[in-house]
Amino acid sequence: MALEILSNAVLILGLFFVFLAMLGLARLPDVYNRLHTTTKIGTLGAFSVMLSILLKVGFSPMGVKAITVALFILITSPVAAHMISRAAHRHGVGLCRESVIDEYGKACNAACPPPEED
Amino acid sequence: MKRYIAYSAILALVWCFVHGTISVNNFILGLIIAPFIIRPFKFLFPFDLEFSFGNAIKKIPAQIKFLYVLIVEIIKANIMVAKIVLQPKIDIKPGIIAVPIDSKTDIGITAIANTITLTPGTLTIDVSDDKSILYVHAIDATDPEGVAQSIREDLEKYTMEAFE
Repeated sequence: MALEILSNAVLILGLFFVFLAMLGLARLPDVYNRLHTTTKIGTLGAFSVMLSILLKVGFSPMGVKAITVALFILITSPVAAHMISRAAHRHGVGLCRESVIDEYGKACNAACPPPEED
Repeated sequence: MKRYIAYSAILALVWCFVHGTISVNNFILGLIIAPFIIRPFKFLFPFDLEFSFGNAIKKIPAQIKFLYVLIVEIIKANIMVAKIVLQPKIDIKPGIIAVPIDSKTDIGITAIANTITLTPGTLTIDVSDDKSILYVHAIDATDPEGVAQSIREDLEKYTMEAFE
């Protein structure tokens, strides 16, 4: 019974964090800031939902699968964010107007200067 | 050959977890399938690396400590980003910062990059060609020196102990 209540509480917490991640996706200005919310909050949100499944069904096949999926999300989500942001920067997606510094852009331009337009 | 068996055993264990039932039958099935997975992706597995069980066991306390630091940082990161998202008016000063790192091995750099992405207000974008500088997007980049210093002192210490 106590486990049931705990499982539901963790589920509600996880869904709240997933909701916050989607809210951040809609509200923040550019692609890099949006990735902040989807990786960090999305990771904990998905992790909490999987943990709630584990608490509900115990170490049955379903519970073991759920915790495996949670661990894979924890490992792969930073890699996905890294690849998306790198691809965006290489395609010339600029930073938002509030940005104060861009040392990566400077380093890229120093390595291979952009072709002059005429 | 010894390498193949060791990596196959690890993959077979992962297969047991993905399947959900941990039994001898499942483990043997995974052991039979694993070499067919390893062969096409051989370049991803470190076949020429020296490996000793003594070293691996010596690192376990450092890795547990690193896991504890990581969990605390993930919870802090979530609260911080949640605060930013829930503000009535979004007031942030983001930017990309170059952070020099001391890690030399591939696994150490992977660990520090993933840890940076999961900790408050920072997101790894790229590593420089000579593997000495990480480019990090920070949600509050008004103090680049402070961000770089906090990454070096709070996080890299633990990952270097745990993975190098």
